[in-house]
Amino acid sequence: MSRILKDAMIVARRDYFAVVATPTFLLFLLSPLLMIGFGLIGGLGAAQMGKSAGARREMVAIVAPADQALIQAADARLRRTASPMLPRLVVEKPSGNADAQANAILNEKGREVSAVLHGSIGAPHITYRTAGSFSAEYMASVAEEAARARTTGLAPDKAITKAVRNEIKPKQARQSTQQASGYGAVFVIFLLTLLLAGQSVGMLSEEKSNKVIEILAAAIRLESIFIGKLLGLFGIAMTFVAFWGTLLGGGVALLPITLGDILSDYTPAIGMPLFLTFGTLYFTMAFMLLGAIFLGMGSLAGSMREIQLMSLPITALQVGMFALSNAAASNPGSSIATFAEWFPFSSPFAMAARGATDPSIMPHFIALAWQAGWVAIVIYLASALFKRGVLKSGGNFFSRKRTAISNG
Amino acid sequence: MSDTIIVRAEGLVKSFGGYRAVDGVSVSVERGTIHGILGPNGAGKTTTLRMLLGIIDPDEGSRQVLGARHPRDAAHNIGYLPEERGLYPTMKAREAIAFMGALRGLDWKEGRKRADALLERVGLAHAADLKIRKLSKGMAQFVQVLGSIVHEPQLIVLDEPFSGLDPVNQEHLEKLIRDQRDRGATVLFSTHVMSHAERLCDHLTIIARSRVRFDGTVDEARATLPMRAHYLPKDGVDVSALLPAGAERSGKGWRFTVPDDGTERVVRDLLDAGHGIGGLSIERPGLHDVFVSIVNAADAEGAQ
Repeated sequence: MSRILKDAMIVARRDYFAVVATPTFLLFLLSPLLMIGFGLIGGLGAAQMGKSAGARREMVAIVAPADQALIQAADARLRRTASPMLPRLVVEKPSGNADAQANAILNEKGREVSAVLHGSIGAPHITYRTAGSFSAEYMASVAEEAARARTTGLAPDKAITKAVRNEIKPKQARQSTQQASGYGAVFVIFLLTLLLAGQSVGMLSEEKSNKVIEILAAAIRLESIFIGKLLGLFGIAMTFVAFWGTLLGGGVALLPITLGDILSDYTPAIGMPLFLTFGTLYFTMAFMLLGAIFLGMGSLAGSMREIQLMSLPITALQVGMFALSNAAASNPGSSIATFAEWFPFSSPFAMAARGATDPSIMPHFIALAWQAGWVAIVIYLASALFKRGVLKSGGNFFSRKRTAISNG
Repeated sequence: MSDTIIVRAEGLVKSFGGYRAVDGVSVSVERGTIHGILGPNGAGKTTTLRMLLGIIDPDEGSRQVLGARHPRDAAHNIGYLPEERGLYPTMKAREAIAFMGALRGLDWKEGRKRADALLERVGLAHAADLKIRKLSKGMAQFVQVLGSIVHEPQLIVLDEPFSGLDPVNQEHLEKLIRDQRDRGATVLFSTHVMSHAERLCDHLTIIARSRVRFDGTVDEARATLPMRAHYLPKDGVDVSALLPAGAERSGKGWRFTVPDDGTERVVRDLLDAGHGIGGLSIERPGLHDVFVSIVNAADAEGAQ
C-alpha cells in the first residue's frame, strides 16, 4: 500500500506543479473574482435602478392643513417598523373634488404614486393603483393612527409606555438557522466539487495525447496513477480553498463585528470546529468519489469532443446529488435523508448537512469509513475501466484478475 | 530462473478482439547482453515487450523478469523507451529525466544531478533548462532515452529506439546502448532495421506473423541461409549447365548457391570445360537476407 501511495505522490507532485506553476492557474485562482465582479456590477446596476425608481415612488395624503401634522406624525411612527422600500409620503392640500384630485394625482405623467389618501381623518378614503394594495393598507394604518391620536389627545409620536430592551446571545442556535448551516455546507461542497472534481474528466487527456501514459503504466501501478492524478487535483483544489479561505477569513476578521457574533446563531449541532473538520473530510470524500468516476470516464474519451460530451452527464450527476442532499438537509431524520446519507455519491453532502442539525458524532466516523470504502472501490473499478479501455489489456473484464494471478 | 537469464517468457499469447497479436512467443534474455527482437511491422514485437513489462497481461503463458513474478515488481530495475514517445511538453529536459527516474524509485534530487551528467555526456547540456516542446524531435527522443537509463537499471527495454533519428544520432544511440551493456546492463530492443541489429545484437529473436521464427545469435541466423558464390567466366559464354540448379545471370557473371559439399566440384567442371576463372567470390548472407527469407516463409505459411 505504501508503495502505491509513494508512486502516487510522484504523479501528484508532477501534476500539482504542472498546473500551479503556470500563469493559467492564477486566472483559475482568481476566477471567483470575475464571478463576484460581474455579480457586483449587475447588483450595483440593479440597485441603482431600484434606488432611482424607489426615490420617485410616493404615496399622497390629501388632508386639510389642520390634520397634516397628525398624518405626518403617524407616518413617522409607523415607518419605524415598515419596510425601507415603502414609498415616501407626500402631503398635499385638498383642491375641490377630492376624488377627482386623487384620480388626477394617480394618473399624473412623471409621477409614480401608488396610493392616495383623501377625505377626512375621521372618514378616510383611499384610492390606489392595482399594484399598490400594500401602500393602501399602510395609508389606512396611518389614518387609523392619526384618528387614534386625535381621540386620545396624545400625539402619535409620543409613547405611552417605554419597553425595556434586553439583548441576549442565544445559548442554542435555532433549528432553522442550523438547517441553513446545513444548506450552506451542502452548497459549498457541491460548488467546490463542481468546480474542481469535474476537471478530472480531462486529466488523462494530456497523458493519452502525448503517450506519457505508456511510461507511467510501465513503471507504476494504474491505481497509483489514478490516486496520483486525484491527489494532484485535490492539492490544486486545496490550494484554491486555502487561498479563498484565508482571504475570506481575513476579510471577516477586518469587519467591525467579530465572526463569532455573526455565526453564533448558525452554530451547527456538532459545534463549529467539528463541523468545519468534518466538512473538509466530506469534501475530500466527495472529491475523491466523483473525481474518480470522472477520471475513469474521461480515460475512455478519445478526444476533447468526447470529453465535452461526457461532461454533461457528469454535471447532471453532480446536480442530482446536490438536489438529493438539499432534500436531506430540509428533512433531517426523514427516509430521504437516510437514503442520501447512505447513497455513496450523495453521502458526503448529506452527512455534512446532518452535522448541522444532529449533535451525534459517531455517525460521521461510520459515514467516513463507508465513503472511504467506496472511494477504494471506485478507484479500483475506474482504473480497471481505464486499463481495459485505454491500454487494451483485453480479455474478459472480470476474468482478467484470474489471468493475472495464474501468470503470477 | 537461472541467474544468467534475466527475462524468461514462455508461450505468451495475446489477442485483441479476434486477432491473435502474439501467438505462443517464448523469449529468454541473458544477463549483460544486447538482445534484439526483430520483426516486420505488426509482427507482435511491441505487444510482446508490453507483456514483458507488465503494461498488459497475456491471455496465456507466463513471464518472469529479473526474478519477479510480475514485471512491475521489478520496475525499479527496468528502463523503458516506448515505441510511441511520450514526454510532458511543458517539462524542462532535466525535470523530465528526473521525473522518469522518480517513477523508477530514484530520488528527485539525485535524478536531476544524473540528468545533468547524462545530458552533458550526449552533448545536450545546453538543453537541460529547455522545455520539451522547444526541443527538436531527435533531442526530445534522446531526453527520453536518458530518462529510461537515469536510474541505472539492470534491464533496459527500448522499443524501436532508432526510428526518427538521423544517422549521426543513430550512431550516438548505438554507442549509448553499447555503453549500457558494458556497465553490466542488459538491453532488449526491438527493431525492423537490420543494420542496427547486425551491429549491436549478441542475440536475436525474430518474430513474424505473431510467432517466433528464429532465436539465436547473428552468426547462427546467417547460417540458416546457404552461402552464395559469384563466378565470372573468362570467355563470357553461357555456363549455366555446369552450375548448380538455380544459378542466375548477374552482369557478365553468374550467381549461385554454394552446394553443401562446397564449390570444388563446380570449379573443377568449369576448368575442365575450358571456361577458366575470371573471378570467384563467396558471399555470406546478411541479416537482411535472413530476415526477408524468414518473413517470406512466414507469410507463405500464413497464406496457406
